[in-house]
Amino acid sequence: MQRRIELLSEERDGGLVLLSPEVGHFTCALDRGNLVAPGTLVGRILTLGETVELVTPHGVTGRIVSDKPERVHEPVGYGDVLYELVGLEAAALADAEGETHAESGSALTFDSPYTGRFWQRPSPKDPAFVSVGDVIEAGMTIGLIEVMKTFTRLTYEPGSRLPARARVTALRATDGAEVNEGDALLELEGA
Amino acid sequence: MFHRLLIANRGEVAVRIAHAARSLDISPIGIVSEADRDAGWTREFDDVVCVGPAAASDSYLRMDRIVQAALQMHATALHPGWGFLAESPRFARLCGQHGITFVGPEARLMDELGTKSPAKAAMSRAGLDVVPGSDGPLVDADAAAACANEIGYPVILKADSGGGGRGMRKCANEAEVREAFSSAQAEALAAFGSGSIYLERYLTTGRHIEVQVLCDNFGHGVHLFERECSVQRKHQKLIEESPSPALTPDERAALGARAIRAALEVGYTNAGTIEFLRADDGSLFFMEMNTRLQVEHPVSEMITGIDIARSQIAIAANHRLAFEQSDLEASGHAIECRINAEDPEDGFRPSPGRLDAFEFPDDRGPGTVRVDTHLRAGERITPHYDSLIAKVIVHADTREQAIETMTRTLEGANVAGVKTTVPLHLAVLASEPFRSGNYDTASIPGWPA
Repeated sequence: MQRRIELLSEERDGGLVLLSPEVGHFTCALDRGNLVAPGTLVGRILTLGETVELVTPHGVTGRIVSDKPERVHEPVGYGDVLYELVGLEAAALADAEGETHAESGSALTFDSPYTGRFWQRPSPKDPAFVSVGDVIEAGMTIGLIEVMKTFTRLTYEPGSRLPARARVTALRATDGAEVNEGDALLELEGA
Repeated sequence: MFHRLLIANRGEVAVRIAHAARSLDISPIGIVSEADRDAGWTREFDDVVCVGPAAASDSYLRMDRIVQAALQMHATALHPGWGFLAESPRFARLCGQHGITFVGPEARLMDELGTKSPAKAAMSRAGLDVVPGSDGPLVDADAAAACANEIGYPVILKADSGGGGRGMRKCANEAEVREAFSSAQAEALAAFGSGSIYLERYLTTGRHIEVQVLCDNFGHGVHLFERECSVQRKHQKLIEESPSPALTPDERAALGARAIRAALEVGYTNAGTIEFLRADDGSLFFMEMNTRLQVEHPVSEMITGIDIARSQIAIAANHRLAFEQSDLEASGHAIECRINAEDPEDGFRPSPGRLDAFEFPDDRGPGTVRVDTHLRAGERITPHYDSLIAKVIVHADTREQAIETMTRTLEGANVAGVKTTVPLHLAVLASEPFRSGNYDTASIPGWPA
């Protein structure tokens, strides 16, 4: 049974592009004009002796408007464009579905002071520093942030915006997530 | 000789290796993560393959994708640089299985020497003295505590596959060992892909002195003298110099001879570094062997005139060493300052961002100046990777002249947009302990603890 992986997709210049999820030789490409829907087999990639089937990702429907590569086995890197698509109406519908979960703008949040990777626990085997329902107060560690390979403890510091004690109502950043400075890590309420 | 060399790394070291490859008429091929796709330094390569998203675990540590990139770019050799997969025997084997020459020692030597505790055993057999410590890696915090109690405090936890200070913790008592164990393990796992930790007696004072060796595949080897690396912060080297002000000419000759004899004894090939701790009484303990090119290699290049990166590639291509020990001479004095994007005034907080200005003068003082960097003004330093942005290396006839050249070069540096360690280097260079050569790893000379 061949391994199957979804292509990556990205909106670019008003259209949609499908990108390689692997490094390898891309082959069995589809011609211009073909329609693709989620799960459509759109080629194969040969990587370290393995043949992997490439399929259209979830939520993507469209018509291929790019030419297939000249070479039967085209060397590609991760994120290289394999197909350009124009969306069909179904694609628009799928997009609308994706936009349903709304932002809860007014919630109290603990924001990341730095751009980096956020870690919820000191090591994979350890419990998370905080969980939903926990009450946190000044000086408590809520997670680690990894910036330039250095791990820094994030501690809860009450201030003008945050109360002395707060209850965690939601975890906004997953373990190992890339976060930007100012991104919400925790949602809080006064406790 | 190879036609195309894949450089399995990024930033400063990737550029350094690309230059070495070009000097041998080899076409350098690069890899990048998505975060580095548009970085200026990628223009040093003839071809570039993107191997994954920003997180190193999904890109620069993806052995399968990197080897596939080498294959499809028709590279017949691969240089791992330092960090990332440079000390992974698994990666070296994977390259070999796919017909790609790994520029470094054989995988079996990396198994033995790249992990610290088997290395201690091997070097002890090869005649070097070792620091007392755990007999191999520790299974858990209990084992660490038991071992520490036996050898006596203070102790230091170290990553078996580590380097660069990651995964290291100094502990004064059992409670500290227990507390530090899991975070050291997590940091080691994140940085090196292995959470294996060992422990040894922490010698509170001492100097970190290392010997550069180069061995070909025919049993010939030379040492390129020592590097003094005692100016450290949290076990990360800040300033390196050669020769070491702590050694007499006799001690220097004896240390070099012992190091190369031990390297040949274990059958070492390619470039490597044997690190020693010099205790106050002058005794030298083997600490670890780095089975790769090191960040501070230019210091040795400056005093010997040997291009180490280029020699590594030639050795990997089965060339004999073109020189013998008697051809080598330590000439003058070299100093390297590692410039990191960190704020030394604020606990060395990482300082990624845009480099608005980035210039070092090369005409100050009596010596010569070399700047190894991958960055230019206007470029961005990403938060995803190491904070090293440049190495400034000076070479002069005497140590005093080298210090003067470095001081005037750094005073004339124009770096803006991010905080850097330049002020720290200037403070160290001006300090009495550094100027007199009388410093050790316990504290940064001229800088408040």
